[in-house]
Amino acid sequence: MNRLTLLSLASLVAPLALAAQQPIAPHDSVRGAIRAVDLHTRTLEVTTGVGYALRVVRLQVPASVPITDRKAGQGEPIKLGELKPGDVIRVSFGGRATGFVAYAIERVGRMEAGVEPSP
Amino acid sequence: MTRGWIAFAAVCAAAACRRPQPGDPVRGLSVTERARFDSGKVVFDSAFTPEKGLGPLFNGRACASCHEDPVSGGVGEEVEHHATAFHPGGPGRACDELAALGGPVFQDSVTPLLRAALGIEKEPVPPQATAIAERTSPDIFGRGLLDAVPDSVILSYADPDDRNHDGISGRPNRFLDGRLGRFGRKAFVPTLREFNAGAFQIEMGITNPSVPDEGTVAGKPLPAGTDPAPDPELSAHNLELADAFVLLLAPPAPLKQSSEAHRGSEVFAQVGCAGCHVPKLRTGDNPIPALRHKEVAAYSDLLLHDMGPELADICFGLATPNEFRTEPLMGLRLAKHFLHDGRAKTPEQAIQMHAGEGARARDLFDSLPPADRAALVAFLKTL
Repeated sequence: MNRLTLLSLASLVAPLALAAQQPIAPHDSVRGAIRAVDLHTRTLEVTTGVGYALRVVRLQVPASVPITDRKAGQGEPIKLGELKPGDVIRVSFGGRATGFVAYAIERVGRMEAGVEPSP
Repeated sequence: MTRGWIAFAAVCAAAACRRPQPGDPVRGLSVTERARFDSGKVVFDSAFTPEKGLGPLFNGRACASCHEDPVSGGVGEEVEHHATAFHPGGPGRACDELAALGGPVFQDSVTPLLRAALGIEKEPVPPQATAIAERTSPDIFGRGLLDAVPDSVILSYADPDDRNHDGISGRPNRFLDGRLGRFGRKAFVPTLREFNAGAFQIEMGITNPSVPDEGTVAGKPLPAGTDPAPDPELSAHNLELADAFVLLLAPPAPLKQSSEAHRGSEVFAQVGCAGCHVPKLRTGDNPIPALRHKEVAAYSDLLLHDMGPELADICFGLATPNEFRTEPLMGLRLAKHFLHDGRAKTPEQAIQMHAGEGARARDLFDSLPPADRAALVAFLKTL
């Protein structure tokens, strides 16, 4: 399933999640470039898409969410504040009443440095 | 052998030797691949209506609305609008494609339902945009071969720091997930399949399995009831067929060169055009034998080059406003307008509008004797 399909599924599922007021199962993952990091609200904006059909996904990042860096060894833990715009990340996430919530974040590289496609 | 068999063999030989015409498939397709190409053309030519999913925002009603001349897959007269925000040196990415505000493509048409709901005639470009670009519709012949060129081949031409001191410093663009880009005037999109899937939604408002939602109107949700067709509006099967058609379109065979055009091909190399417009690329391994290990007369390195401030418009991915992908020149003879926004009416004008990394070749062109300039243009008109 490609990234935007996942995103769009998430968009479709969001109203259901609102109604249910419960976390739902992870929607696999989304991969894209960080647009913004807000440490005060612990939120991330990730730009992703297919071709020119681009979307921005806003994610809450609870303090308990594992954030790792692929380049810094074998998934070395890093802090939310170390993520920067232009970082390429892979996020697994789910929907809650308050919006999308990250379950795990992996920084896989920087846009300008290039990132090999994931298997 | 009877005369009949000889005649039959001659006809077959003539057909095999026939040079690919615009709209033909690449040679060597299997029966199944050819059938998918033919069926894909039907999807490519299909005009959508609001009842079939068109819009609510759109630029065209069919792929062939904009890629139509002289046949499906060719050039179009349409011009569309892209907008982004460029903030170098800021805390965020230098380029914001305005995805949160409906960008980067801002559609020029709306369906009656959206017009009635919002009172708009097109998607408004938000004030955050720092530039609005016009984009013409290029032909898409031979793009499947470009899709099949390995990343390593493209990257082998990159020289971002101009270490060879030739004044040309092509660099790669990257998609949002870090993959190498190659399609689009800013080389943003990595694969033809993704370009097509995105284009169905962005250009026609046709949702599909890869892009199953309509997005927003300048960042605001679609008003209820303005998109009554159920999603996805294009099936996976039809998306795959359209992909097959685009992927398998052959590049038009260059015309036979006159002695003047042959001289022009030499001038093309002498003045340095070939520094960016690399005459031939080679495809790599590919599941489709007709695209595997083929030479393609792309006349492009598929990299970004600084073309100077006069041509600058939007940023896109890593591409700055000044940077554009080297336009493939295959099929150039079919173009009615030249450069990314069609501002040049002739190939000569397009050459003279080159600046930045193209300035040296432009100046050398300008200094040529008239006969050599004419020869170079004659060569371009054979592509």
